[in-house]
Amino acid sequence: MCLAAFAGSVGCRLFEPASSTTDSAAPLLPGQSTGVFTTARPTLAGALNDFFGRRPIADQPLEFPHNVHVGKQIMCTEYCHESVTKGPVAGLPSVSTCMICHAAIATDRPRIQQLAALSEKGLDLQWARVYGYATEARVKFNHAPHIRAKVECATCHGDVGEQTVAQRNVDLNMGFCVNCHNANNASVDCLACHF
Amino acid sequence: MDRRSFIKLTAITGTSATLAGCGNPENQLIRFIPAEDIVPGVAVWKPGVCPLCRAGCGLTVRVMDADAEVVRDGQAGIVRIAAAKKLEGAPDHPVNRGGLCPRGQAAIQITYHPDRITQPLRRAGERGQGRYEAVSWDGALTEIVSRLDALEGAGNQRALAAVTQSGRGHRSALIGRFLGAYGAPGPIAYELFGDEVLRRANGLSFGRQQLPTFDLANARYVLSLGADFLGTWNSPVAQSVGYGRMRQGRPGLRGAFTQVESRMSQTGAGADEWVPVRPGTEGVLALGLANLIMAAQLHPASAAGRAGALIEGWNAGLANYAPREVERITGLAAARVERLARQLGDARPAVAMVGGPPLAHSNGLFTALAVNALNALIGAVEQPGGMFFTPQLDVATASKASGSVASPAPTIDRLAADGLSGGPATQVLLVDGANPVFTTPRAWRVREAFEKIPYIASFSSFLDETSILSDLILPDHSFLESWTEALPESGSMVAVASVAPPVMRPLHQTRATADVLLEIGRRLRRPLDLPWQTFDEMLAATFAGLPSATADVDAWTDAQAKGAWAGPLPAGLAVAGTAGASAAPGTFAFTAPLFDGNAEQYPFYFLPYPSNAFLDGSLAHLPWLQEMPDPLSSAMWSSWVEINPATAERLGIGTGDVVEVASAHGALRTAAVITPGIAPDMVAMPAGQGHRTFTRYASGRGENPVELLAPVTDAATAALAWAATRVRMSRVGPPDGRLILFAGGMREHPAGEHQR
Repeated sequence: MCLAAFAGSVGCRLFEPASSTTDSAAPLLPGQSTGVFTTARPTLAGALNDFFGRRPIADQPLEFPHNVHVGKQIMCTEYCHESVTKGPVAGLPSVSTCMICHAAIATDRPRIQQLAALSEKGLDLQWARVYGYATEARVKFNHAPHIRAKVECATCHGDVGEQTVAQRNVDLNMGFCVNCHNANNASVDCLACHF
Repeated sequence: MDRRSFIKLTAITGTSATLAGCGNPENQLIRFIPAEDIVPGVAVWKPGVCPLCRAGCGLTVRVMDADAEVVRDGQAGIVRIAAAKKLEGAPDHPVNRGGLCPRGQAAIQITYHPDRITQPLRRAGERGQGRYEAVSWDGALTEIVSRLDALEGAGNQRALAAVTQSGRGHRSALIGRFLGAYGAPGPIAYELFGDEVLRRANGLSFGRQQLPTFDLANARYVLSLGADFLGTWNSPVAQSVGYGRMRQGRPGLRGAFTQVESRMSQTGAGADEWVPVRPGTEGVLALGLANLIMAAQLHPASAAGRAGALIEGWNAGLANYAPREVERITGLAAARVERLARQLGDARPAVAMVGGPPLAHSNGLFTALAVNALNALIGAVEQPGGMFFTPQLDVATASKASGSVASPAPTIDRLAADGLSGGPATQVLLVDGANPVFTTPRAWRVREAFEKIPYIASFSSFLDETSILSDLILPDHSFLESWTEALPESGSMVAVASVAPPVMRPLHQTRATADVLLEIGRRLRRPLDLPWQTFDEMLAATFAGLPSATADVDAWTDAQAKGAWAGPLPAGLAVAGTAGASAAPGTFAFTAPLFDGNAEQYPFYFLPYPSNAFLDGSLAHLPWLQEMPDPLSSAMWSSWVEINPATAERLGIGTGDVVEVASAHGALRTAAVITPGIAPDMVAMPAGQGHRTFTRYASGRGENPVELLAPVTDAATAALAWAATRVRMSRVGPPDGRLILFAGGMREHPAGEHQR
C-alpha cells in the first residue's frame, strides 16, 4: 500500500505529456513547455520525506555567516528578511539585496566575488528553507503579528548571531507554540493557527 | 480486479515510480533574480478588465508571489514573480457591480495556458500543418514591415485587410486608424452571434445604433423574446444583478417574467411562463400584443412615435395582427396572446426585450423593429423600469486621433468571395482575436479564401483554425499582462470607460498587439502618422479629456486606480444620436422567414446557440469551462443535440444515442439529449465544440454546428441568419460514451418514465 502511495505521489513523471495531446492537436511549438503542472513531488526521495514528515537538512548555496552580519548590528528585519514585518513569510534575500551593501563592502572576499558574479549573470541564490511546517500540519503561520507583539527572533530561531549557516535548533512543535501563546495571553483557539 | 493482480500492479507501479524518480533531482533549475519587489505571502488586489465578451465587466485580480519557470537568454530557470491568481468582479464597477460570470472566472487560465504561444513564430511547414520555427521580434517585425512596404511600393495598399474581434474600444479604434493611415479598408469585425440587426433596428427606431441597457431592477413585468439575458446575451452580469433585484430585491413585490422562445435557454428556465412560438414569427407576436394594447386603449398608438411609424399599419391599429391571425402565424393560441397582452399592458413599468434567435432570421430586422415599437407604445423607452441607451464615448475625438479614417470594410463573406473569384484580392491579412474559419458557414468558403492569401500574420495567443493558416505569429500579451480597456456598450445608465494597467509582468516573449502595430507603423518606409508611441499614451489622451470623479486627482490616475471611469460625458465627446437625421426608410411588414432546405426533406428547424461555457467557441480552450456542466443538460466536455421527447420517441432515439444531423450543407454525428424544453419540430445544438485545432483541451472534441449552417442572411443588414437552416436527423447507433453528463438526464419526464 505504501508503494502505491509513493507511486501516486510521483505519478506525474510516469505520465508523459505527449500522450495527453490528442492526435488532431498541432505539434508543440518552439518555446512551449511540455509539462503539465502538478503538485506531486518530483522525486521518490521527496515523496518519502514528505510522507514521513522529514525535512531535508537545508543545503545552502553559500555559507552565509549570520554571526558576522548580526555582529555588525544589521537587524534581521531591516534588509534581509524585511517581509517579516509586512506579511506571513519572512522571505529570503535575493542577490540584489546582498549587493546593496556588497557592491562596496568587502569586495575582496571570495564569497562576495562569487555573489557579484551571480548578480552580473542575473542569477539568484537558491536558498533552502530552514524552518517551516509540514503541509499536513495545516498551520497558517504569520510572522508579522509576532513581530508586532515584540517576540524576539531568537525565541523561535535560536541565537542566530552565534551561527554561521542557520541551523534548525528550535523544534517548532505545537507544544512550543501553545506554551508561548499561554504565557503571553495570546489566543490558543485552534483556528488561530490552523486552517 | 482480484487480490493477486492488485498486488502485482502495486509492485509494478511502485518499481516504475522508483525508476522514474531517480533521474529528477530536486531544484534542478537555476534561479534568476526577480525583477520586482514582492512581499511573499501577501495578496494585493489590482483592477482589471474582462476581455471575453463585449460587456466589458470590471475585474479585481488577486496578485501574489509565485515561482515561474522562464527562459532567459536561452537558459531555463525559475524566477519569483508577482502572479495573478484569482479573478473576481470589481465591487464598484458600474456594469457588473461585483458580479462575474463563470467565463470571466475562468479567464485566468488564458494567461497560464500550457499551449500558449510564447514567442514570435514563422511558418516552417505547409499551411495548416502547424509547424513553426522561432523567430526574434526584430526579425518578425522586419518581415511584416517588408511585406507592407512592398504593397505600398506597388501602390496596392488596399490589398491589406484585417479581421478583428468586434468592439468599440480603443483597440478597435487603433487598428482602424492604422489601416486608415496606411490606406487600407477598415477592419472586418465578424461575430457569429453578433447583434448587428438589433443595433440597426435601434438606430432606425430610436436614433441610437447600439445595444440597449435594461433597468430590470425597477421593472414589474419583463417579456423577453429569445434573449438569453442571464446567460450569454448583451451584458449578462449587469442583467443578472438587475434581475435579482426585480425578483427578490423589493419586499412584497416580485417582478413577473415571461420568456418567448422555441428552445428553452438558461434564462427561459427561470421564467414564470415559457411560451414557445414558431421560429421567425416573434415579431408578429409583438405586434399582436401591440394591437390588443391599442384596442384596449391602454396606450395610444401615437405614444410609439417614430418607432411605431416604421411599422406598416401602425396608426391604423395593426388590424393585420389580430389574435386569430397571430395564432395562425405563430402557432400560439389566441387566448394566450390576449392574456400576455393584458399582463404587458397592465403592469407598469413593463419592458420587452429581444435578442438572439428571433433576430437570426431573414426577417430579423422586422422582428427587432416590431419589439421596439411595442416598447415605445408601452412607454418603456428611457423610463425607469424600461430600456435605456448608455451614452457612448466617441473614441476618435476623445483620443485626438485626427487623420484619415479607414474606408468601410467589406464583410467577411465578401472578402472571401472576392479572393476566390478573382475580384480585388487580399495580399496581406492581419488577424486579431477572431477565428472566422471556425465561426463562418462552410458555404462562405473562408478557409479556402484564406489559403489563397499570400501572406497572413496573426496576433493570436493560441493556434486555432485561423491562426494555423498564418505565416507569421506575433503573439499578444494576455489581458493580465498588458493595458486593457473597454467601453461598455450597455449595462450602465451612465457612460463607462474601463481601463487597467498591466496586472503582472509578461510570462513569455510576447508583446502587446496595440504596441506592435504602433511600432510597425513607425518602421514602415513611409511611417504612418499615428499620434501615439504606445497604447497607454492613446488611453491617457482619452482620459485627459474626461472630468475626474475625485477632486484631487485627474481622471486618468483615478480610473487606473479604480479600473473604470463613469459619469456624464462632456459635450462633444459623446457619440451623437442619429434621431431625425436619416431619411425615413419606409415601413416594415412581416414577411415569412426564409429557411434553407425544404420541409419534407429537412423536417426540423436547426438552432445553434451560444454555449454557456464557450460562447461561439472562442473559450473552448479553457479546461475549467470544458468541465463546467451545461446548466440545463448538465453535459460537459462534449457536444450534443437537444431533441423533444415526442420526436425522439417517433425516431427511436434515446438519451446518449448517436444521431446524424444533416442539412443541405453538411452533416455531423453527435449525442442526443432528450429534453422537454424544445419544440417538437426543432433541434438545437450548442456552439463552441468541434475545434480541429485549438489547444490540447478543445482539439478534436465534439462537433461544430456552424458547419451545418446555410449562408442565409438578414436582408437589411447582411448579418448571418444563423437560425435559418433546416435539418434532418436519424439515429445511427447506441450511446458510445461521447456524451458526458454530470447529473444524469433531464429531471422532468412524463409520468412512468422515472424508472428508465
